[in-house]
Amino acid sequence: MFLTPEEYEMCEGKHGPGIEKAMKLLVQMGELFGAKRMTVVDNCHILMNDPIEWVREITEGVTKIRAFTTMHPLNPCQHWEEMGIPESAVKERLKQGEERNKIYTGIGMLPIWSCTPYFVGSLLYPGAIFSWSGSSGIIVGNSVFAARGNRDASVMSIASAITGRTPEMLLHKKENRYGQFLVELENLDLEVLTEAEYGAIGYHIGAQAGSKNVVISGMRHKPSFDNLKYLLSPMQVSGAVSLCHIVGLTPEAPTLKAALGGKKPEMKITLGRNQIEEARSSLNTVQATAVEVVVLGCPHFSIREIRGVAQLLDGKKIADNVRFWIATAEAVYNVSKQAGYVDIIENAGGRFITGCCAGPEVARLARASGIKVIATNSARAAHYIARVAYPVSSVLFGSTQECVNAGVTGKWRA
Amino acid sequence: MELNARKVSDGRAEGEVLVCNGPFSFLGDLDPITGVFSVKGHELEGQNLAGKIFIFTTGRGSTAGSSVAIQAKLNKKAPAAMVCLEVEPIIAAAAIAAGIPMVDRLDKNPFEVIKTGDFVKVDATKGIVVVHE
Repeated sequence: MFLTPEEYEMCEGKHGPGIEKAMKLLVQMGELFGAKRMTVVDNCHILMNDPIEWVREITEGVTKIRAFTTMHPLNPCQHWEEMGIPESAVKERLKQGEERNKIYTGIGMLPIWSCTPYFVGSLLYPGAIFSWSGSSGIIVGNSVFAARGNRDASVMSIASAITGRTPEMLLHKKENRYGQFLVELENLDLEVLTEAEYGAIGYHIGAQAGSKNVVISGMRHKPSFDNLKYLLSPMQVSGAVSLCHIVGLTPEAPTLKAALGGKKPEMKITLGRNQIEEARSSLNTVQATAVEVVVLGCPHFSIREIRGVAQLLDGKKIADNVRFWIATAEAVYNVSKQAGYVDIIENAGGRFITGCCAGPEVARLARASGIKVIATNSARAAHYIARVAYPVSSVLFGSTQECVNAGVTGKWRA
Repeated sequence: MELNARKVSDGRAEGEVLVCNGPFSFLGDLDPITGVFSVKGHELEGQNLAGKIFIFTTGRGSTAGSSVAIQAKLNKKAPAAMVCLEVEPIIAAAAIAAGIPMVDRLDKNPFEVIKTGDFVKVDATKGIVVVHE
C-alpha cells in the first residue's frame, strides 16, 4: 500500500504512540481489503463503548483529532435515575463512561451524543468520504446523502478521527456502489404507509439481502426523511446492508439502469403487503396486552417527529402506570423546547431521554429493571429489545400513533 | 497436515479447536466476561471460546463488535486464534485491534479438514495452520 511521507511517519511512531497504533490498524485493514492508498477523511462518528484501556492507548500523545468527529449516545445512559432504573443496571459502566467521554472531548470530538449526526450539524454531500460507526448512520450517509463510507468497526472510526485518513476501499469506489439486490415493490400505495410499515419493509429486505447493495424500485411516492430513516435503519440489523438506492429518489439512482450500473442484479425479490405483515408480526414478541414502557427515537427523533407527537399528545395524559420515553439529541431537544413541543409532551407525562440510545441501551436498562412489555415504533429497536432484553422484556411494534395511544390508555390497540 | 492461509492479524497460538458452522459476531454471540457463546438455541450455546482456536465462516453484525473483542481479550476470555473462510471489515478490525491472531483463505476448506476437538497451531504472521493428526 502506498503511503505519503506524512502517513509513513505516523506509522513509524514519529507523531506519538496513539497515532502510530491508529495508522497501523488502518494500513493493515487497507492491505486486507485491497486499498492502494489512504484517502483524507474529514467526517467521523465514533461509538462510546470501547474498553477504557484501549481508549487510553489509542489516544496516547494525541492532543487534537484531525477529522471533524461526533460522538454516539452515551454509555451508560445519563437519565437512568429519572427513568426509574436501578443503579445496578449502570453502576459498573459509570466510571469508565465518564473517563472515556472526558478523553474524547479533550481531543476535540463533539459531544452530540446522538446516532443521528445529520440532525446536529454533521452534514454529508455526494462523494464526501466519511467514517461513521453506528450502522444506522452509515446506511443513511451512503444512500440518502450519496456520501462514501464503509461499514467501519468502532475502532476504525476512532483511528480515522485521530489520523484524518481512511484506507480507500470497498464503498469508497464507484464500481463497488452499484446495486446487486433488486427489490420490486408491488401494489403499495406508499403515501399511506406508517413508519412501522417502512420499518417492516427495511427489516424484510435486510434479512434477504445480507451485505449486498440494495436497489428499491416501484416507490411511487416520496417518503419523508424520517420515513427514509425507518426504512433504511433496520437493514443493518436484520442484515448488513450499507447502501440502498431508491430509484427516482436517492442521488445515485436517477434510473434503475444507473443504480445497477447497467448490469443485471445478482438477485431479485418482489415485496408487497404480505411481506410487510410477516416482518411486522415477527417483530411483535407478545400479543396485545398492558404496556409498561413506550420508547420512541431509534434512530433519534427529529424535530418534526417531536412536533408530531406533541400534536398527538396535546391536551392528553400518559397513563399513570406507563413510562413514555423519547430519545433524541440534546440539540434537537433544545430547539423543540423553544418551539413549545417539549412542554406539551412533558406536561402530558412524557419524558425526553437526551443523549441516550433507544435501542440496545434501553434494552439493557429494561432487562436490568425487569420491565416486561415495551412498545416501540422502530423495527430496529424492536429487534434489539427482543434480543438484548431476552427473556425479560417482550416487544409490541407499531406506528407512532399506536405507540402514543398505548401511552395514553396503557393498553396496546385499545 | 500443514495448510497455507492469508494473514489477517499477526501472532501465533495453539490449542483445541471449536468449529462454528456459520457467521460470528463478538457483539451478541460472546459474553466477554465469561468467554461463553451465549446465543440461545445455537449449536454452540454454553461452549467456552476462551483459549480455543475458533473456526467459523465469516463475521457479521454490529460495528461495536470490535469493542467486545477487545474487552474479551482484556479479560483473557478471547479465542487464542481465529480462522475463517473470508473476513469482512468488522471481524478483521476486531481481530487486529484486540490482538487476536487470525487467518482466512486457507488452501483447503477448514470445515472439511478440521473438526471440533482437534489440536491446531496457527502461525498467523507466516500464514500457516498446522493440524496435528
